[in-house]
Formats: sequence, structure tokens, C-alpha cells
Amino acid sequence: MAAETAAPAESARAWLVGSVRRTAFAVRAALGRRDGRATAAAVAAAYLVAYHLGLGHLGVRAGAVASAPRFDLVVVEGPVALATRRVAPFQYEPVALLSAGPVEYLFAPVNAVVGLALAALVGVTLAVSVVAWRGPAACRIGAGAGAAAGLPGVLSGVACCGPAFLAVIGVQASAGLLAAFRWFLPASVAGLLLTLLWVGSRVDPAAAR
Amino acid sequence: MNSTRRAALAGIAAVGGASLAGCLGGRATDSAGRSTEESGGGSPPPTVDDGYHIAYEADGLVSESLDGGVGKDGIPSVDEPAFRPIEEADSPSNEPVFGVVRGGEAKAYPRRILSHHEIVNDEVGGEPVAVTYCPLTGTAQGFHRGDTTFGVSGRLVNSNLIMYDRATDSWWPQMLATGIDGPMTGETLDEFSVAWTTAGEWAARHPDSLLMTEETGYVRRYDSDPYGSYAPLSGYYSRDGTRFPPLASPEEGHAKSVVVGARTAAGAVAFDGATLRSERVLTGTVGEGGAAVVAVADPALSTGHVYRNPDGVAVDPDGDGYRVGDEGGFAAADLPLERLLAFDAMWFAWYGFYPDTAFVGEHTGAGDGR
Repeated sequence: MAAETAAPAESARAWLVGSVRRTAFAVRAALGRRDGRATAAAVAAAYLVAYHLGLGHLGVRAGAVASAPRFDLVVVEGPVALATRRVAPFQYEPVALLSAGPVEYLFAPVNAVVGLALAALVGVTLAVSVVAWRGPAACRIGAGAGAAAGLPGVLSGVACCGPAFLAVIGVQASAGLLAAFRWFLPASVAGLLLTLLWVGSRVDPAAAR
Repeated sequence: MNSTRRAALAGIAAVGGASLAGCLGGRATDSAGRSTEESGGGSPPPTVDDGYHIAYEADGLVSESLDGGVGKDGIPSVDEPAFRPIEEADSPSNEPVFGVVRGGEAKAYPRRILSHHEIVNDEVGGEPVAVTYCPLTGTAQGFHRGDTTFGVSGRLVNSNLIMYDRATDSWWPQMLATGIDGPMTGETLDEFSVAWTTAGEWAARHPDSLLMTEETGYVRRYDSDPYGSYAPLSGYYSRDGTRFPPLASPEEGHAKSVVVGARTAAGAVAFDGATLRSERVLTGTVGEGGAAVVAVADPALSTGHVYRNPDGVAVDPDGDGYRVGDEGGFAAADLPLERLLAFDAMWFAWYGFYPDTAFVGEHTGAGDGR
């Protein structure tokens, strides 16, 4: 009896371990190729910029004052304590403002790390998709997988600025919608990881060698 | 000075690395949390005996309140504001500011800074006060705070900022100035007048005024308004719609047209701001009893004042000032009548809180040219 119930669990564990191994192999293989690295870097950079634009941490100064300095760095007093102050779900306090001409960047350490992690995840997922799509038949993946892989990442970008996003698309915020936005980012991260595992699991390491 | 300027990026890197270690242990700022963990302590804020007319029950307003998408204190109040003489400031003369005069001292608070903080706990003329601004309802109001401070609860009702006091953690919708939840439910805050004007107009009226600076203790992109722009009018401030559901919607009028509103214990009255500035004098009534009121424009500050006028005394423009009955030469803010506390508000917000409001003037477009 015990052996019967243990079998499915063992089987699931084996499947998961196998998927992780295949995904790790796929990621290494994708990043070992020039087109894979280029895809990962370009997508991650674009995502990082979009993430900070969505947060409002990056943008062009409106109504620039003529006397404003060309380059400037303002750091708050007590930045270490302030950096972990949560201002909204998955949004933390900026501790420095860097101005370069009309471009302004608010540096929030926690959000910078969250953004980098998300960007890396989206970049790697799309790199694996692109390489698998362009690669040998060992990779059982279609052209649509690339778009599918990127979707969770795009959605997670929306998570950072819920009510503002609703205003852009002209939808009035309801309590339910606002509550849903709280779970958007973790759901997106989970979606990205599952997508990466799925894309990775489609790669046959033996055939790819 | 709350901010320091440094030339090296090395400091940033050090700061980032150190702070990340504790990123998961940040202070709890859940909007649903009602603790007083950050209470500034002190005594409850001062209140007045004469409350304002309110069209809704307090618990109904609480149930209609929404999470604004940021946590409690997610929009941080400024508790140690810094100032410089307004004559030394290089801000544009048409920059919207909120002007306050108390105890012979004049101070101006730039709208672009308050749109990122919403509450400034300050002292003016030796009096502890809170100067508050809600961008979504276009309302700037001042409150006496005693020895406590106010913070941003993170919740909204009728799109209006719900403040909380750090002594009792009671909820205070800004426009109502009345407690709707917590130990001070039903109490009315002691409010004072705030002028929504421009830096140029305020400096001309009060050349010795101080102007709040960007040294707030936080860094924000203060030149970028998260909601839109007043000059030129754009974004949220120009759209004929709201971001959050209003309590009630008027049949006529642009949602973002500006009214000068006043309320008494008996009712509320709204004067269209643009109409008031062009006509200079408007008359109306407030409440079921139909008590007469008169509104006059203050052209020098592009604002308006509302007075009770129970005897129906004639009020007419007299040069830059006003003639009341047979006497002339009165300043708009100093007519020999009982002045009601009045403030600018977006029409949708005023009507939402006071659906039984009287309205005087012509409905005009979004904003009013400020």
C-alpha cells in the first residue's frame, strides 16, 4: 500500500528533477550561443527599463528649470534605514535621485534587485525559447513558445503600477481589481518560472549533443 | 537639511548592498493595519464643537473606502519641512502653491511637492499645523494638529485622501474634516483656510513669505506629477472621469471643473470657480433653511471667499476690493461679514460628498486656468 502511494510522489519528484536538469542544461546551452546571449541581454535590458518606467522611477523631467544642474546626485539622509521602507506592494523607498540632463532615475535598492531578477528571468526564458526555436530538431518547441514565454514577464511589469495602469487604459479601479494587483507580481514570477521549466523540459539534452 | 549631495556612485553601491540584506524585514505598512506602531504619540488633534453637514453615515463611508494601492504611510508625510525665502526661489511665477498665513507668518507649499506627500506637518506662526493636499480631488486644506501629526492612511473615499492621526489612529477624510473610524469618529477637526494660488501671486501679496523646498527627507521626481499637469492642463486633471468610483455623480458639469465650496452644519454650497472670478460676486443659499451666503473673488490670488449674509447686504466690486452696503474698500478676505471656511475642489468630489449641495454659477470646463 505504502509503495503504491509513494510511487506517484516519486514519479512527480523524478519529473521535476528531470525538468530542472533539462532547464539548467537548456539555459547553459542558450547562453553558450551568441544569439542566446544577445537575446537575453537585449530582453533583460529592455525589461529593466520598462520596469523602472512603470514604477515611475525613470523618466524625463517635466518643466525643467533652466538653472538645474546637468548632472546631479541627491542621496537621502539615512539611506540604509529608508531603503527597506515599503511604500506599496513590492515597491520600496528610493534613496537617491540621479539626474543626467533631463533624464531622472530614482534608485530604490530593493526595486533595483527585484527588477534585475525579473529582467534576468524574462531574458533567460526568451533566450532559451529563441535558441530552441532556431536550433536543432532536438528542441520540440514551436514559434509561438517565444511569445508565450514572454507574456508573464510583460504582465509582471504591469504589477508595479496598478492604479496608474488602470488610468492609462481608462478603467475605473474597483476594490477587487486593486486587491488582484497585490498578487500580480508573485503570480508573474511563478508564471515565469513555470514557463522556463516548460521550455526547458522540451529540450532533449541527449539529442542536442 | 535632509538630503546631501555626493559626487561618488560608490556610496550608492554600498547603500544598496547593505540595505538589501534587510529587504524582507521592512516595516509593516499594510493599509489594512490599524496599529499605531509609528505613532507620533501626543494628544488627540484639536477639534471643534460645531460640526459640518455630512450626507452619509460614518460606517457607510468606511465601507465605501478603498485601498488606494499604497500602504499606510506609503505616501510619506513630510514631518520636517525645510524652507527658503520665496524671493530667493527660482521657481516659475505660475507654479501652483498653497499659501498659509498664521500668527503673522506666511508660508507657501508647492503643489508639485505635495502631490508626492499629501501632508506636511509643520508649524506656522508658532502653531502646529498640517497642510494637506489631495491630488485626486484637487483640495488643499489646513488643520490644527496639536502635538500629534497626521499621516496618509493609504485609503481613499470618494477619491479623497483619508488621513489618520498618529495619536489615536482615527480616520479623517480630508474634505469632510470629520472622523469616520476610530476613537474620534464623529469629531470635527479644527480647520483653517489655505489659499490655492501661484508662487508669483503669493510672493506679490506676501514678499516675506517662506517657500517649502525639495529637502523633504525623501527623494522624488518632484518635477514630474504622477497624475498629469496643471500647466498645461493634462492627464487626470483634464479628463471628465475619475480613477475611483465617486459616492454620487452630478448630472451636469465637468468632473474636474473647480468649485469654491463651503459647508455649514446645515448644508453645503459650491460656487463655480471660473464663474466667480469673472463675475467677482455670486450669491446663494446653503442648507434647508436657505441661509444666504455671498462669495467674492480675490483676483490677486486667483481664489475666492465665502461669507454668511443673513441680512442680504449688497456686496459689489469696488476697485480691487469690495463695497459692503454703504462702505467700500474691503479686501476680499476681510469683508465685515461672518466668513465661512471655503476651499477649491473638483466638482465631482464636492458633489460626491455633498449630493444635496447648492450650486451657483455656470458649469465650466476642467481646471480653471491656474
